[in-house]
Amino acid sequence: MVVEDEVSADRFGLGWRPRLAAGILANLDRIDIVEVIADDYFRAPRHERRALQTLAAQTPVTLHGVSLGLASAMPVETRRLEDIARLCEEVKPEFWSEHLAFVRGGGIEIGHLAAPPRTEATIEGALVNLARAKQIVGVAPQVENVATLIDPPGSDRDEAAWLSAIIRNSESKLLLDLHNLHANATNFNFNPCEFVARIPVERISTVHLAGGKWIGGNGAQRLLDDHLHDVPDPVYELLEEVAARAPQPLTVILERDGNFPSIESLLTQLDRARQAVTRGRARTLEEAA
Amino acid sequence: MSESRLEVFLARIYVDQTAREKFFADPRGEATRAGLAPHEIDDVVNIDRDGLELFAHSLEHKRAHKHGHQKNRY
Repeated sequence: MVVEDEVSADRFGLGWRPRLAAGILANLDRIDIVEVIADDYFRAPRHERRALQTLAAQTPVTLHGVSLGLASAMPVETRRLEDIARLCEEVKPEFWSEHLAFVRGGGIEIGHLAAPPRTEATIEGALVNLARAKQIVGVAPQVENVATLIDPPGSDRDEAAWLSAIIRNSESKLLLDLHNLHANATNFNFNPCEFVARIPVERISTVHLAGGKWIGGNGAQRLLDDHLHDVPDPVYELLEEVAARAPQPLTVILERDGNFPSIESLLTQLDRARQAVTRGRARTLEEAA
Repeated sequence: MSESRLEVFLARIYVDQTAREKFFADPRGEATRAGLAPHEIDDVVNIDRDGLELFAHSLEHKRAHKHGHQKNRY
C-alpha cells in the first residue's frame, strides 16, 4: 500500500542514512521528507523494520529501490517485486521509486546501475517491467535516470528520446536526478538544459541532488556520480531550470552516501536548493507577466 | 521478453577482467562468439574503451568498498 496524496507545495528532504539519523531526527522542522533505501530493509530484522514504520509515522517517507533492473529486455524476477510490495505494505510510503537501469545479465550481478542499450527493446522491456511492478506492488514506481561512465553500446537513440518514450508510455512519474544528468552531459558533451526541454517536464515529480568527482586521466577523464561530495553549482542551476519549466510541486531530495559533512552543511545545501526552486518559480512568473 | 544477449555480454565485460581482456584482444571474435546480432557486433567493436575501463574500475572500487566498509549506495 502506497499513500499517494496530491502534493501541494515544493518539498525538500534528505536521503536517510544511519550516520545521518540523529541529525535528521533533530531537524525535522527543516526536512519535509525522508528517502529510505528499500533494499536495506528487505532482509532486515523485525526491530529495524519497526523503526522504519515509526519513522514513517513521524515524517513523510519514500522508498527508493536500487536493484530491480527495470530497464532491461529481461523480466524482473517476481520475488524482487514482492519484496518491495511487502515493504510498501508495512511502511506505507508516500511513493516508491527505482532506476531505469539494468543490473544483471546471464546470472552476473553487475553490482551497480548500468545504463542499458537505448533501443526499442529496452523501452519495451522497461514498460513490461513497470506494468508488472504496478500489478504486484499496487502502484507504479517513479523512475530515475542514471549516470553512466560509458556510452551504452547498441544504442540507436539518445538518452532524452529513450527516457521520454518510457515516461510517455507508462504510468510512472519521473524522478530526475540532476547530478546524473549533469555528469552525463559533461561526459558525453550535450547541453543539459536542452535535455530538460526535450523530456516531459510535466511528469517530473521528484528531483535528486548529489555530488561527484573527476576520475581517470590522460584525456579520458569522466565525472563520476559518487554521492560523496557537495552538490556543485551547475546542479543548482539545473534545478532552477527545472523549477522554471515544471509548474507542478517538486519533491527535492539530497543524497549523500559517505564522506559525511555536518548535518548543518547538508541543511545549508537544502536551503540552496530551496533558493534555486524559488528563483525558477519567479522566472516563470516574470515570463508570464 | 527474451534474455538479451547484448545485456549478458555487457554484464560480463563490465564485471569480469579476463572477459574484458579477451574482448580487447579480439572484439569482433568475442562478440560473434557471444551470439550478438551483426549490428550489435559493430557497436561493441566500436565501444567507448575509456568509458568501459573507467566503469569497470569504479565497479571494482565499489565491490572493495562494499566488502570492507559499508553497504553500497547508488
